[in-house]
Amino acid sequence: MIEAFILLLIILPLFAGVLSLILPRLWRGAFAVILSSVNFLIAVYLFKKELTFSFPWAGFGIDFSLRLNHFSGFIILAASFFGLLISLYALNFLKGKDSAKQFYAYILISISFVNGAVLANNLVVLLFFWEALLLTQYGMIVIGGRLAFRTATKALIISGASDLCMMAGVILTGYLAKTLLISDISLPLDLLGSLAFILLVTGAISKAGSVPFHTWIPDAAEAAPLPFMAFFPAAIEKLLGIYFLARITLDLFKLNTNSILSSVLMIIGALTIIIAVMMALIQKDYKKLLSYHAISQVGYMVLGIGTCLPAGIIGGIFHMINHALYKCGLFLTGGAVEKQAGTTDLAKLGGLGLSMPITFFCFLITAASISGVWPFNGFFSKELIYDAALERGKIFYLAAILGSFLTAASFLKLGHTVFLGKVSQKYKEAPVLMLIPMVILAFTCIIFGVFNRLPINNFIQPILGIRAAGHNFSGMPANFMLVIVTVIVLLAAFLHHFIAVRMNGGAIRAAEHIHQAPVLSTIYRWAEKKYLDPYEVGIKLINKLAKIFWRIDRGIDWLYGSLIVNLTFAFSRVIHKIQAGYYIIYVIWSLVGAFAVMSFVLR
Amino acid sequence: MVVLFILIPFVLLLVLNLPFKFLNARIAFWLSVVLFSTQALFVLINSLFAWSNYPAVLGQFLIFKLWLDPLAFIMLFTIAIVVLVSLLVARSTITTEKRSFNFINLLLVALTGMNATVLVADIFSLYVFVEITAVAVFVLMAIEKNKFAIEGTFKYLVLSMFASVFILTSIAFFILACGDLSFSEIHNAFLANSNIILLNFAIGLFLCGLFIKCGVVPFHGWVPDAYSEAQSAVSVLLAGIVTKITGIYVLMRLFSSVFVLKGSFHNLIMLIGVISIVFAALAAFRQDNIKRMLSYSSISQVGYIVLAIGCGTPLAILGAILHFFNHAIFKSLLFVNAAALEKKFGSTDMSIITGLGSQLPVTSVTSLVGLLSTAGIPPLSGFWSKLIIIIALFNAQQFTYGWIALLASVLTLAYFLFMERNIFLIKTETAPEGSDGVPFGIKFCEILLAAITIGVGLGFPFILNSQILQLKGLLY
Repeated sequence: MIEAFILLLIILPLFAGVLSLILPRLWRGAFAVILSSVNFLIAVYLFKKELTFSFPWAGFGIDFSLRLNHFSGFIILAASFFGLLISLYALNFLKGKDSAKQFYAYILISISFVNGAVLANNLVVLLFFWEALLLTQYGMIVIGGRLAFRTATKALIISGASDLCMMAGVILTGYLAKTLLISDISLPLDLLGSLAFILLVTGAISKAGSVPFHTWIPDAAEAAPLPFMAFFPAAIEKLLGIYFLARITLDLFKLNTNSILSSVLMIIGALTIIIAVMMALIQKDYKKLLSYHAISQVGYMVLGIGTCLPAGIIGGIFHMINHALYKCGLFLTGGAVEKQAGTTDLAKLGGLGLSMPITFFCFLITAASISGVWPFNGFFSKELIYDAALERGKIFYLAAILGSFLTAASFLKLGHTVFLGKVSQKYKEAPVLMLIPMVILAFTCIIFGVFNRLPINNFIQPILGIRAAGHNFSGMPANFMLVIVTVIVLLAAFLHHFIAVRMNGGAIRAAEHIHQAPVLSTIYRWAEKKYLDPYEVGIKLINKLAKIFWRIDRGIDWLYGSLIVNLTFAFSRVIHKIQAGYYIIYVIWSLVGAFAVMSFVLR
Repeated sequence: MVVLFILIPFVLLLVLNLPFKFLNARIAFWLSVVLFSTQALFVLINSLFAWSNYPAVLGQFLIFKLWLDPLAFIMLFTIAIVVLVSLLVARSTITTEKRSFNFINLLLVALTGMNATVLVADIFSLYVFVEITAVAVFVLMAIEKNKFAIEGTFKYLVLSMFASVFILTSIAFFILACGDLSFSEIHNAFLANSNIILLNFAIGLFLCGLFIKCGVVPFHGWVPDAYSEAQSAVSVLLAGIVTKITGIYVLMRLFSSVFVLKGSFHNLIMLIGVISIVFAALAAFRQDNIKRMLSYSSISQVGYIVLAIGCGTPLAILGAILHFFNHAIFKSLLFVNAAALEKKFGSTDMSIITGLGSQLPVTSVTSLVGLLSTAGIPPLSGFWSKLIIIIALFNAQQFTYGWIALLASVLTLAYFLFMERNIFLIKTETAPEGSDGVPFGIKFCEILLAAITIGVGLGFPFILNSQILQLKGLLY
């Protein structure tokens, strides 16, 4: 009986999503909220249970096999929690908007696919749900408006391409392991094994939004409806991507600290932190700035898991859930600002702190969390990652701490610009239905920080099982030097901000000296022209190729359409002239022909 | 009994010309209709062997020997159909009582000549009957006493004369080389391989004569004028069957089962065929008169048959026979369409008669069937015969000719679609108003011929199994 519940996690939201499309439009939001709460309750009920479920599906060893264990139960709990909050938030945010028609259906169907992907105990089943998420992702972006189509296509192509890599990885893994059952696979990292590992990791970190698969996220921030940003890139894509990354490194392959692939992962993580945060620093749009941070923070998680040390892995997973909490919260404050002020352009915003105190409060807590301020949750997960990174190499630690400095700087700039400063206009506070999810998220951030023992011991440490036995990762960090460095860095960020505001004139220009720095300004210019975006470069290349092929095609067309036709007509003109109509000419022809035949015969 | 095919038309001709008042054009018409239909039905109903097993009582009085084989059988059927169509068309296009009567008489002469051509078994009688047919057609062409018809007739006459000279000279050489003119003796002479130079010379001359009769490039000068200037009914007769029997049938008969050729002759015939295909197809593009366009198309299609005969493998000969039959049917159909247009609008100039699709539904649809069949579009009859020819060419390693034959189909389709669009499909303000409807006789012919084209196309696998495969065995 209880096995049916885990199937219910997939079937219920899926059918509810389809059903919501035929419901009257006014009911859809409430329906989605009810269904996602039901889903949340089921997830709570199933948490900490171990279940398997399987029935034959496609043959060739591809069974529809699901498995609920501690890790997947935790992810499903988190995902359903965010699904509930976002549908609650969207209730008011999307009211009267055209995109509300389909949004609730997509959110419910997405929940179903996420549950399916997380529960899957068969690589093909996992891939099935994983790829199906592309559909809802596309649909959610494309309802954003007229300009969203291009972005949706970009997202689809980037995600589709990396998912193709993952598909290849699944095939290779299945070939090497002779089974597709995730719980049975344990492969060494030899030559082919490494290839399979890289292909699978490509899919995982692309879903999480790591460099270089990130470029659609800032575009989507401008085009897609805000609840999508808070739900997909901020929350569930991180949950899914990092979950699968952790499964790959922990279960499917035995990655250890000696492996070069571990270093590769750490390098990717470090690069993601630095590149994305540098871009975030110069953004002048609330949502776009947040979206770059959504990329940057992935770097910490990849770095943490890449260290292959228990502290790093626990820090990475803890950072994943923390990031989902505060980034979701930040996006929701952005939505509140957008809803009330009608814009997210930093140049037009200012002094909102007085008129929207609760939103400001939520922003303060979540921004402090992402910057790693004690005692909020981001501090603890980052300290764990710093600890592990320092053990693997100083350079990784430096990258992480530099990223922290820049994160703090950019959020100081954001908060200063939006909530402090001159009061340009009086706005009302956001509606209660939008405030509730924000407040819940902000308080969760505090709880996960102050009482960090609760999530680490209950949710995260059991994932590692025997590997983390005997350690205690909760509480204040063991290495107190790290804490001091962090505090110094944060103070430096404060100091830097005040000096920069004074020197550059205005909070919004707080990062201008970095923007205009000698080498960086060139790089920034390239980045703004999208020269550094692999997708846009690829599209340009394809356009050039298409032009060349078009020329070739025109040539062929000319050959058929003009040359042959003109030649045909030219010949027929000549023949027409010859056919003058005098019988004597015909007689001569015949005689010449006969002469030719006879000379042929008698030769 | 075979001789009845020759004697009955001949006797009917004599009876019609007895000095009785009641023997008018009307009686002559219906008697001829009965005769032609009977010939077609008899061929359809009776098997070949039933015919050849009758005691040849009457035949022994003749100075020439007759034979009947499956090839001749198909020819007799084709002749009957086309002659019947020509007669029906003539009924509505030739209005004068006297001319109509003369037309029927001459048609009977032509029928006698063609039937005999198909049935005789020696080369001299063959020549005589070819000439009888030709003479009847000369007069038929000149039956319309206008300047252009006379000019066309004259061109045909002059070139035919050259053909006769070639063929007669060639026959003289055959007498020198073989001593006898029956097919079997000539065949034996070839097998014995004596006097081979003389025989080759004779074949060369004979070929030149036949090429003129077939109207292949570069011996084709008379064809466009003769076909297009003649009276519509005569065009059907001439294009549909006369040049086919007097030229192509003879070529087919002699070069597939009588003469034994060396390889270079095959190449020569194929070369002439390919030149005809391409040259005439290109020439057809420039024509603004529908009948002239059809004439060039006819030359081009004859090129296919000649090409297949030149290839000479059993499959190619089979393809040639099929294309012969199909071409006779669909080219007659297209000429009947032209006759309908001429009857209704008094012109065959494509710049005048445009946008007629709604006025002439039957003609429009049947002409589409005819042209698609000519271009070899499946599943119409023309597709199968062209397919067999091209397969035979490829099987015989004649890839160049095969590809040319294949690609020339595109040209055929191009100029025919041009014609179809111009006359029927286009919508214009200046579409001419016709005098009255298309006569029933012409409509009947159009539908009959289109039905045969579609029927043969659709039922081809059945026909191939039940009727045609026996040809292959008997040809060799």
